[in-house]
Amino acid sequence: MKNTSEIIEYCQELYEDIDFTATRKWKDADPARKVVGYMPVYVPRELMHAGGILSLGILGGGDSMEVIHGDAYYQSYICRIPRSTIELAVTKRLDFVDGMLFPSICDVIRNLSGMWKLLMPDVYVRYFDTPQNFISGIGGDYYVNELRELKEGLEGIIGREITDDQIRNSIAVYNENRRLVNAVYDFRTAEPWKAPSWEVYLLMRAGMVLPVEEHSQLMSDYLAAAVSEDKPMRDNCRIILQGSFCEQPPLNLIKSIELSGCYIVDDDYMLVTRWLLEDVPTDGDPLVNLSEAFIKHSGETAAKYVPDAADKGKFLINAVKDKAAEGVIFAAPSFCDPALLDRPMMAGALSRTDIPYISFKYAENSGQMQPIREQAGTFADTIKLWSEAS
Amino acid sequence: MTITAGIDVGTGAVKTVVFDVQDGGAGEIKWLSRQTEKIRQRDPHRLAREAFDNALEEAGVTQEDVAYIATTGEAESLDFTTGHFYSMTTHARGGIYLEPRAGAILDVGALHGRAIIIDERGKVLNYRMTSQCASGSGQFLENIARYLGITQEEIGGLSKVADAPEKVSSICAVLSETDVINMVSRQVSTPNILKGIHLSMAGRLVKLLRAIKMKEGTVLMTGGLALDTGLLAALNEEMIGQKVSVEALSHKDSIYAGAIGAAIWGAFRHEKLAKIGALPLAS
Repeated sequence: MKNTSEIIEYCQELYEDIDFTATRKWKDADPARKVVGYMPVYVPRELMHAGGILSLGILGGGDSMEVIHGDAYYQSYICRIPRSTIELAVTKRLDFVDGMLFPSICDVIRNLSGMWKLLMPDVYVRYFDTPQNFISGIGGDYYVNELRELKEGLEGIIGREITDDQIRNSIAVYNENRRLVNAVYDFRTAEPWKAPSWEVYLLMRAGMVLPVEEHSQLMSDYLAAAVSEDKPMRDNCRIILQGSFCEQPPLNLIKSIELSGCYIVDDDYMLVTRWLLEDVPTDGDPLVNLSEAFIKHSGETAAKYVPDAADKGKFLINAVKDKAAEGVIFAAPSFCDPALLDRPMMAGALSRTDIPYISFKYAENSGQMQPIREQAGTFADTIKLWSEAS
Repeated sequence: MTITAGIDVGTGAVKTVVFDVQDGGAGEIKWLSRQTEKIRQRDPHRLAREAFDNALEEAGVTQEDVAYIATTGEAESLDFTTGHFYSMTTHARGGIYLEPRAGAILDVGALHGRAIIIDERGKVLNYRMTSQCASGSGQFLENIARYLGITQEEIGGLSKVADAPEKVSSICAVLSETDVINMVSRQVSTPNILKGIHLSMAGRLVKLLRAIKMKEGTVLMTGGLALDTGLLAALNEEMIGQKVSVEALSHKDSIYAGAIGAAIWGAFRHEKLAKIGALPLAS
């Protein structure tokens, strides 16, 4: 049995490889194989899987890639993920990708989908517009139609029909994957010293580039190893990290927060892995089932509208209670409109329930961690020394 | 009896203390041992382990006797500790332990200076710190001493006998060094150069105190430069010059303030966690 260090070392190799070698290898193994990339926050990966397509999560270029061309495409007040994603494209790192999905996160990503069409006229590109109305007969019907159009687009890539049975089978595969993702998250919530957040992060990042079955096996192996390994518990406070659902922070930022005295017991990294909160039924119309799961049983983030203002922030407050968290750290990318516009509302909801929080910004290539260590460190001290609850 | 240890890994030195703390810091606090090791290009983490072992031996206890091993400074990633506290938090608590009258702490270390307003419990109320540049810091002073061919121990005494000090740039270490080179070439005496540097550093530190509205009372110097008598004298001169009714003090154990604070907060946390049955185990 592999230990956690070996598993995480493998995940880190995948994470650092901005040429996506593992995915390329998967594709090269069979000329009929296709790869479709997707941006955060959520796409129904089940549909790609049903067509035998590998879905590739594109989360920008990270802190190891120098952005040269990408800066020419965007104004200086735009976040970094679209620049580095463009850089990945124009440097041919995504030349093996047969299609790209751009979910409705924000205007910048929508514009990126347009640029992609111009840059790569031969690649299937879709702006995947998820519903912001959560009534089954309105938003649900609309979303079923979106799913159907996406399915037809994917069928165009593979040159054959994707059957309902294939989708049902893929739904089951992803139900299992989500169960394992949730099991890893639950394990970290219960014993965060045994599953450091930077390890969990790398484990989830591996799921962006590997076939889902391999990722499930990897998580299963990690859980088995982590449970049996003895790691010392530290006197850290328990916090939830919010705002990092799109552009990713550098790995050092996650490590810095933990080193500063905070156990991250929940986060919003790679929400695609656990966006749906319950298993999707594997009988009946699979597109309707996927739609209903999105409409009725999906997570909450800044990119999703909350119809009743009174409910804004409840998801986060419930997470704080469920995870026995002692505070929230809002860590959002610079110039991220959804996260930064959402923050005052979320912060207000936390204030009204006496949940402490701090806020800071980062970019995927942030290199200076001292200010973050100072903020996270003093926040942890405040909770540990002066909070009544702690 | 709650035995706790505090380990402060700074830029220039590792400081370790072992305490016997009653009632989470509210009762008697008995100092059992202390260790200081200059880092001098050695691995600070290995040094911290050695200093900790030596401190345990001096205190006559074993690691198993220690209820809480607390770190501060750059010691977050030490693998044998119970918890970590940020350095501002620990200097505040260590400062109030050393000088209960202190209303503020001036933590002047190798790379920065920081003014911290505290209350009587050692809670941080406000702070300001110098910017990234090493000018006005211990590292800068250490470099200048080396250029001038004197030991660090001689700095304070020489500074106090200056008769015509000239200030240097307190913003940029490169400019300050240029100032010093000019002074040497103009045959300005070593005491006057050192006093000029001290006055420049002091001026910057007093500005930090004014920025956090420390207008009267007592401020305790902590950190690596706390025992520099020349800097202390210059600070009190600058207080008068900038019309601030604050007395700057130092303590013979000021350099341990971070480690002391860590150890006392460790005891506090130990008691708090014991009450709710959530004690972590130091490895």
